[in-house]
Amino acid sequence: MKRRYSAMSRVFTALVFLFLYAPILLLIVFSFNKGNSNTVWTGFSLDWYKSLFHNRLIMRSVYTTLLVSLLATAIATFAGTFAAIGFYSLRRRPRAVLNTVNSIPMMNADIVTGVAMCLFFVAFFAFWSDFAVWFNGVQHMVTLPARLTLGFGTLLIAHVTFNIPYVILSVGPKLRQMDKNLVDAAQDLGCTWMQAFWKVILPEIKPGIASGALTAFTMSVDDFIISYFTAGSSSSTLAMTIYGMTKKRVTPEINAISTLLFVTVLLLLVIVNLREAHMERTGQQERRPKPVLQRLTRFLDSPRGRWFRRGAAGVLTAAFLVTVILLTSATNAQPVVNVCSWGEYIDEDLITQFEAETGILVNYQTAESNEALYSLLKSGAGDYDVIVPSDYMISQLIEEDMLEELDYGSIPNFSLVDSRFKNLPYDPENRYTVPYAWGTVGIIYNTTMIGEPITSWSALFDDQYAGNVLMFRNSRDAMATALSYLGYSLNTTDPIQLREAFELLKDAKSRGVYQSFVMDEIFQKLEGGNAAIGAYYAGDYLTMLENNEDLAFVVPEEGSNWFMDAMCVLKGAPHFDEAMAWINFIASTEANLKNMDYLWYASPNQEALEQYPAYYEELYGEPLDPEIYEIMAAPQEVLDRCEAYLVLPASIRALYNDLWTELGI
Amino acid sequence: MKNKLSRLAVPYVVWMALFVVAPIVMVVVYAFTAAEGGFTLDNFSRMGLYGVVFLRSFKLALVATVICLMIGYPVSYMMSKEGPRFQRAAMVLIMLPMWINFLLRTYSWMSILENNGLLNQLFQRIGLIDLYNSLSGANLEYFPMMNTQGAVVLGMVYNYLPFMILPIYSVIVKLDGSLIEAARDLGANGLNVFRRVILPLSLPGVLSGITMVFVPSVSTFAISKMLGGGTEMILGDLIEQQFLGGAYNPQLGAAISLVMMVIVVVCMVVMNRFGEGEEQAVML
Repeated sequence: MKRRYSAMSRVFTALVFLFLYAPILLLIVFSFNKGNSNTVWTGFSLDWYKSLFHNRLIMRSVYTTLLVSLLATAIATFAGTFAAIGFYSLRRRPRAVLNTVNSIPMMNADIVTGVAMCLFFVAFFAFWSDFAVWFNGVQHMVTLPARLTLGFGTLLIAHVTFNIPYVILSVGPKLRQMDKNLVDAAQDLGCTWMQAFWKVILPEIKPGIASGALTAFTMSVDDFIISYFTAGSSSSTLAMTIYGMTKKRVTPEINAISTLLFVTVLLLLVIVNLREAHMERTGQQERRPKPVLQRLTRFLDSPRGRWFRRGAAGVLTAAFLVTVILLTSATNAQPVVNVCSWGEYIDEDLITQFEAETGILVNYQTAESNEALYSLLKSGAGDYDVIVPSDYMISQLIEEDMLEELDYGSIPNFSLVDSRFKNLPYDPENRYTVPYAWGTVGIIYNTTMIGEPITSWSALFDDQYAGNVLMFRNSRDAMATALSYLGYSLNTTDPIQLREAFELLKDAKSRGVYQSFVMDEIFQKLEGGNAAIGAYYAGDYLTMLENNEDLAFVVPEEGSNWFMDAMCVLKGAPHFDEAMAWINFIASTEANLKNMDYLWYASPNQEALEQYPAYYEELYGEPLDPEIYEIMAAPQEVLDRCEAYLVLPASIRALYNDLWTELGI
Repeated sequence: MKNKLSRLAVPYVVWMALFVVAPIVMVVVYAFTAAEGGFTLDNFSRMGLYGVVFLRSFKLALVATVICLMIGYPVSYMMSKEGPRFQRAAMVLIMLPMWINFLLRTYSWMSILENNGLLNQLFQRIGLIDLYNSLSGANLEYFPMMNTQGAVVLGMVYNYLPFMILPIYSVIVKLDGSLIEAARDLGANGLNVFRRVILPLSLPGVLSGITMVFVPSVSTFAISKMLGGGTEMILGDLIEQQFLGGAYNPQLGAAISLVMMVIVVVCMVVMNRFGEGEEQAVML
């Protein structure tokens, strides 16, 4: 009976572990995939590992992640342990209050914590800058930096803040389990309280400290949303990089780096465990405290050490804050430019090339969507120099006076831009923007699952495809499909037309036409044949085509949206000249050809547009299929059918929001 | 001695005031501010609209928590019965998945659960789908698992299960063995020992496990987006939409998060009453 029970329990435990590890195994397997899909296996290769080490963006974010996690864990473990002892020695009432406050970071949604801290930092920086100006005016001995920005320092503060509670929660119970008389006994026997701490308390709570540190570290590594709001424009963690990639797709290089990290940690933990087990078997005692520690303890207990002891905590805290302030304001001697674009939206060789040519360091970050970028800018978290928003967002930013006029004199390559793409409605006098890439929106469908060719938006509202249709998960694009189908302008401000479009979507949703609302998940769903039809961007269709030849693309007959993403500079950008150099570099024909090849999005550069087929043939040794070229860079007659988005008045934006929320409910 | 040690709490209290309390105060201020500035209660008056979302989120989070408890408790219990080496290895193995970014893990689940995904292919190959079709007379090509509430719950269970196992295990493993022996000596059978001795003593771990699973489940947005297909919104989505998504309205977002926070805190306080509140979350 007993044995059967234990066998059953082992099977159960094994199943739970299978459940925990199945997705991870899958991820590891696909890091060895030849193609760039996470669903379609095309053969074994180590290419992603090779290209990983050339991917500076990922490597740098890994470095930042490890650095911030290690520092935050060390600080949080130290501070948390002492705080826990302090809490434990308090009377019940104040302890309960502090414990409640302590658990706020864990009780709160991460996104709220992140936003709250961001608001706080920005408010503090504004206050600080007033203070510094006043202070520098009053005296001349010390010059305080007037402009603080979000950066590594604030990222670190945020991580420490959400880590400490986990340490306290691990150490606290160990303290409560400890026999209180032990400390008293030690003191009766002549120990000072410092000695009591080292010799009695510490050994008792050691396991708690270790587990607290491990938890804190894990939390640090896994966090993305709090980092997203507190890291500013110059540093990004691995999790943020991954999140930023979700506008397009996550590269398999990320699978590769995750596999490497996973294996490293696994090995480390195995080694530690084996050593511990070994020590246990041989009955070795824990090592005695090192003489240094003993001397330190003795010093701290001596009358001379008393002043130190008293002020130690305060001094440490102050020192930490000063370091952080210096870190946040540290001005690098090397010129930099902070760029925010979309994930997988640049051939990264260009960054390396630009840095080598100009000596300007590029901090390259990615946002998840125009709206996410907007909220970063609004909350003050995104102090970038160059951003690459889409047309309608640009006009909104211009409207809100958030963009700086460019100095076209230092962007000679602007003259290469096709005249069709100059003076577009979002920037009619072309004072703020240099176009980056453009494309169309259309319907992607699987020809093996759909018998006849699709030509109309009606397919997205058709019962015969119920459960097989993917719809945009953003209000503007989703509404645009319905508006196009109904024959209305994509920029309509007529509430009745918008209502009608919304009812069309809502009705289709209630009839179960939509399998899901997606953004980047569409790659996986269409490539793997999990859905038959989806509306998405032309360039991304070409990426999917590489993994599934059965996919077809059409710009529906009713017309569609064509979009332009353009580079702009934020108002008051601290690195204006560097930003001009970057924009000019990216606007060159050579850079546009490279990007076109990497992105499958069309370039606005006239020479690049003309030269691309030849460039392709030279690079791959085969001619470019003219059909593919037409999808990539839609001919003028297709563009004539399409309409670009314009910014909508605030009241209509609010209506969009309400309708979208209603659709979601 | 006591008073001296309690001074150690001072730096952290200052820290909390700065970086925990002050930011929260800013959120509260935001929640009562109109987009154009000035005091308003409008952000809260719209809350009724989102009642469905609140209900759905709490329902899903509750289901996920219960499942986590039903899996996590036995696993913790069984682990504590194994040898020390097994226990150590198991603890490590439970923490380890958290080292892979959770977005990536959730992506992986997508390829497993898709209509054309690994599980459905497996079912196809072993003839499970045909068997089901012939039994029920249905004509399925696959079992629809993606984009359902079930998939969202699975994602929550998967991501937060370690938070349930770790605290429960840490309490059970330290249970005083002599109590169990005493109970047996006094004639209790296995079930009674469990019900009367082990379960009540492990309650603190269970309570903190419930908190650690329930809270992130209510406020998650990535999981429901990816596995739920975004057809049925939960609270995290709603909040994310106000802060990062298409419906930019941080004031409303702050108000919704405030209401959510209050509900969660009330739930937790009520629940901790059962556990006498003294012992809190224990990890590992």
